[in-house]
Amino acid sequence: MSDMPRGTATLSPFSGWRHSLAQNMSFLLSFVILAGLTLLYIGLFHGQLNAYPGTFEWTSVVNTAVPTVLVAVGQTIVVITRGIDLSVGGVIDVSNALAATHMKDSLASMVGWSLAILALGAVFGAINGILVAYGRLQPILVTLATLAILQGLAIWILPEPGGLIPPSYSNTLASTQGPWSLCFIALVAVAWLVLRRMTIGVRIFAIGNDESAARAHGIPVRRVKVIAFALSGLLAAASGLFLAASTTGGDAAAGDVYILTSIAAVVLGGISFYGGRGSALGSIAGAFVLTILTNVLFFAGINPLYQSFFQGVFLVIAVFLGVILGRLVKAST
Amino acid sequence: MSVGGSTGSGTRARDLLTVDRRRILVTFGAAILVFLVGAFLHPGFASAASVKAILVIASFVGLVAAGQTFVLLVGGIDLSIPWVLNAAGVLFATASLGRDSRAAYALLLALGLGALVGLVNGLCISYLAVPAVVMTLAMNGIMEGLTLGRTQGLTCETCRSYAPPALQNAIHAQLAGIPVQLILWFGVILAVTFILSFTTFGRKIYSTGSNAVASYLAGVNVRAVTVILYMLSGFFAALAGIVLVAYSGQATLGLGDPFLFQSIAAAVIGGVAILGGRGHYLGAVAGAISLIALISLLQAENMPDYGRSILYGVAILVVLLLFGREERT
Amino acid sequence: MSDETRTTPAAQNLAIEAIGISRSFGGVEALTGAALTASFGEVHALVGENGAGKSTLIKIIGGTVKPDAGSVVIDGEDVTASGPRTARRLGVGTVFQELTLFPWLTVAENLFVGREPRGPARLIQRRKLPQRAAEVLERFEVNGINPRSLAGSLPLAQRQMVEITAAFMREPRILLLDEPTSALAEREVEWLFGLVRRLRDNGACVLFTSHRWGEVGSLADRITVLRNGRHVATERQFTEHEAVTLMTGRTIDRMYPDRPALPEAESEVALSAEGLEGDVLHGVSFELKRGEILGIGGLAGQGQPELFLSLFGARKLTRGQISIGGKRAKLRSPADAIKRGLAIALVPEDRKTEGLMLPMSVKDNLTLAVLDKISQAGVIRRRQELSLVGGVAERLQIKTRNAGLQAVGTLSGGNQQKVLIGRWLLVEPDVLLLFDITRGVDVGTKHDIYELVVNLAAEGKALLYYSSETEEIAQLCHRVLVMREGRVISELSGAEASAEGLVAAALREGDR
Repeated sequence: MSDMPRGTATLSPFSGWRHSLAQNMSFLLSFVILAGLTLLYIGLFHGQLNAYPGTFEWTSVVNTAVPTVLVAVGQTIVVITRGIDLSVGGVIDVSNALAATHMKDSLASMVGWSLAILALGAVFGAINGILVAYGRLQPILVTLATLAILQGLAIWILPEPGGLIPPSYSNTLASTQGPWSLCFIALVAVAWLVLRRMTIGVRIFAIGNDESAARAHGIPVRRVKVIAFALSGLLAAASGLFLAASTTGGDAAAGDVYILTSIAAVVLGGISFYGGRGSALGSIAGAFVLTILTNVLFFAGINPLYQSFFQGVFLVIAVFLGVILGRLVKAST
Repeated sequence: MSVGGSTGSGTRARDLLTVDRRRILVTFGAAILVFLVGAFLHPGFASAASVKAILVIASFVGLVAAGQTFVLLVGGIDLSIPWVLNAAGVLFATASLGRDSRAAYALLLALGLGALVGLVNGLCISYLAVPAVVMTLAMNGIMEGLTLGRTQGLTCETCRSYAPPALQNAIHAQLAGIPVQLILWFGVILAVTFILSFTTFGRKIYSTGSNAVASYLAGVNVRAVTVILYMLSGFFAALAGIVLVAYSGQATLGLGDPFLFQSIAAAVIGGVAILGGRGHYLGAVAGAISLIALISLLQAENMPDYGRSILYGVAILVVLLLFGREERT
Repeated sequence: MSDETRTTPAAQNLAIEAIGISRSFGGVEALTGAALTASFGEVHALVGENGAGKSTLIKIIGGTVKPDAGSVVIDGEDVTASGPRTARRLGVGTVFQELTLFPWLTVAENLFVGREPRGPARLIQRRKLPQRAAEVLERFEVNGINPRSLAGSLPLAQRQMVEITAAFMREPRILLLDEPTSALAEREVEWLFGLVRRLRDNGACVLFTSHRWGEVGSLADRITVLRNGRHVATERQFTEHEAVTLMTGRTIDRMYPDRPALPEAESEVALSAEGLEGDVLHGVSFELKRGEILGIGGLAGQGQPELFLSLFGARKLTRGQISIGGKRAKLRSPADAIKRGLAIALVPEDRKTEGLMLPMSVKDNLTLAVLDKISQAGVIRRRQELSLVGGVAERLQIKTRNAGLQAVGTLSGGNQQKVLIGRWLLVEPDVLLLFDITRGVDVGTKHDIYELVVNLAAEGKALLYYSSETEEIAQLCHRVLVMREGRVISELSGAEASAEGLVAAALREGDR
């Protein structure tokens, strides 16, 4: 089922900001929701504890959000090509397990293993991409299968939660003293903006729009898909490394929850699963929304068992709002 | 070159074997192949008892796949199956309180839940234009939260209820050597096949999946068709949940988790297009049997859990590479 | 099947030399030993019926399809085995029927795909795109398209103009155009022709295919006719009659049958519209009598598709009244319309066969709108269905091996169109809304369709007719309502409703 953009062609010529608004509606919405939720969090926090969230709380929010941010950006890239990557959970599992079992307390070991794990993530991603592009298989099925493989692999590496992450690694990457890990988010955001302005970025958007048109333009569609999946794997591996650092230990099943979280972040960021459009900056906002939502639910006294319920309802409402707002903007032109 | 070819004049056997039908036959062939290989590696794998056992397990997947197939045929997908299944199973057990007198009530309630969830899914997807992936994913979370919350993590008093004994016995019984569960599945196969191949509703399903706009212009109520199909998906997920609880005796958490992947894989292996418009439930049936036979074969090899997981994934990829490839554009 | 890679001195000016080209698709031969030569500084037209192989040949020349046999030499270089990238390198530009625009990228982004302005570190300067695009659009005299619009939000005619602009931007030495004017109105066609002529005068070779004889006559320096995948003739000029004969292999004396007599003044009004008002329509009113063929004219995109869809219950009206057979009707959906005796055969803007379900059988496609008639309690009655299908397939001469099994997607374009029309004939409607049903259809089938239309009117049906070819409306219709910006601005009949008269009325500012 394809869809087409609604007409904004009737706007007066060169009314730039109106066009930008209409085209970026869902993306902007994600930031509005983030702002609203943050205020709600601050309000509830204050209500419960009679103080405002301080450095500790914000640091904890950021540290919790970073893994989601990383994997969500990777998922965004794949979704823009009209695919989906369900194996990200498995990549996080394997990265986590490897880091916990092999990283020693020397700079060489930490750096070396970090790079190796990142490379491995890219390789796993590339395999997904090759199966999808050259094998001509559906992404949802391929990545479900590779997820199973990776989950098994992770358990083989680390059968029981445990292992040890060198403390200096944890302290540098996932410092609890202050929200320094924000720099990772900034890094990824900048990387996205750069990607958009590179040939590969244009190509990723192009094949998500219309594969046969992309081919007609001489774009090597299959190669681009492999790269897109490889980037997703790379970012998932990064997410796994950060997760290991912030939890200071390993758990071969730690990544599984991030599959749905990454998709939810992408949805909240206003990216369409039909591909061809959207910004990872929206997914970053979406990732933060999910993190703060958990805090909001906690401080609102909601039974944690009901968490998925509220997340689900929230997701539907967010999408629904996006649809309505889009129609309103179109109607006003 | 003939004109308006009506019935059989000039219909060759080759024509009857359309691409879609051939795919179904091939998938059944694959299932048989797995049994043969299994019998070779493990004598007794293809014995009557073993085949029956495998078919029974496949039937659970097959029930869920019925709903998933309906939804896939119109280009949708139902990711809420795991927790609709689980919720219905839990509801069935707790509503029946282990008593036969309440069996019918519990049954209706649980099936009703499935249909209701499907209705909500369908309405939001059809009328509110929420993408299916998002809606059903969210619904899965909603059902998970509701189930965990209402039962306090399945620690509530009534949660330990057993399924009504009469149903437990019925499910485990055999009629003329055939497990009742298989007879139930067979009934579902007949019903679904009938709907898809012989009714106007079935025609509308295929036309909607093929070209929703043209169907609308031809007078098909595309939205209503979509809503009904999601209701059916919820219904079948609930049915599977009930049957599973009757089979194992009690409700547990995580009951539905494996079925999402398996229902989609079974359908796709059997030729149901993930974008809609093509395929048939019979293919999903063949796919379910092939899949479960394969998994059973792997389990017979006595590997540790993680090894099974790896081989499972590899096996799926192999099957997909053999059967699930898209056409070259 | 010659193997020449050398060019002879006499052929030095040859841009394209295709010899002995054969190509089949799935056992069906699209081209058999076809040949074509075109020189630099020439506009060359390639004509033929649907299925004659024009699109295939032009795609082979452009490198997107490889021939099974034969050779293609472009500017002296043998490119038979090469692909689109080699063609590009040699300066070949293409505009094919399948547009290569990216719907969710802006017009500006689309125009500069692969050639974006770069800044430091070779990063794309996205901010400069709209301005640069505006300059390009101005240079090519394209008006009314905002470079910031998403390409997919533009109507088809504008999308085609963007695609054409993108091709001309690259200043190709050889330009291949496949049905470039199918969605363009007269004014835009003139614009394209201007560009083509200028390109030709600069020494380029332009090869184009078209169904519209008027265009071919006015633009082409030489014309090649294909029939059944073979080269039939190449001349500087043909009369339309000669061309049609060569294309079809049979003589169609007159393309258009006689119109049936005008219905009596007392004839029943089958369909009437009063003050229809919607997001596009404004105050549209008319009466359609039984036995009448009412044309809807005007430039493309002036509300005609919206009118048809609104009349069929597929689009909301904010105000206004529709009456069918004298009775007021509130149409909330196409299903309502069908129940009231309406039928619509509509070929939507961009995809020729979007009215059909391609993987489904001919039979299934035909009976979709009349499922109630062939079923009982929801169960389909096989024999009834087959006999109904047989009847309509016979009447329309639909060529299919087996209507119950053959997928509609494997039929030829003309036959597909007949299936679409057949679906609506089965409804046995009183009123038929026909929207561009001959688009993309070969000459032979067009003729058959015209005959059908006229016969339907003679039977007493009321027909509303729209075509992107003004000539058709002029020839077939009793009266024509010209639309502009959602309004009916004039009503023409008789001598005034000639093709020229209709175009003039469409361009005029509007008189009531």
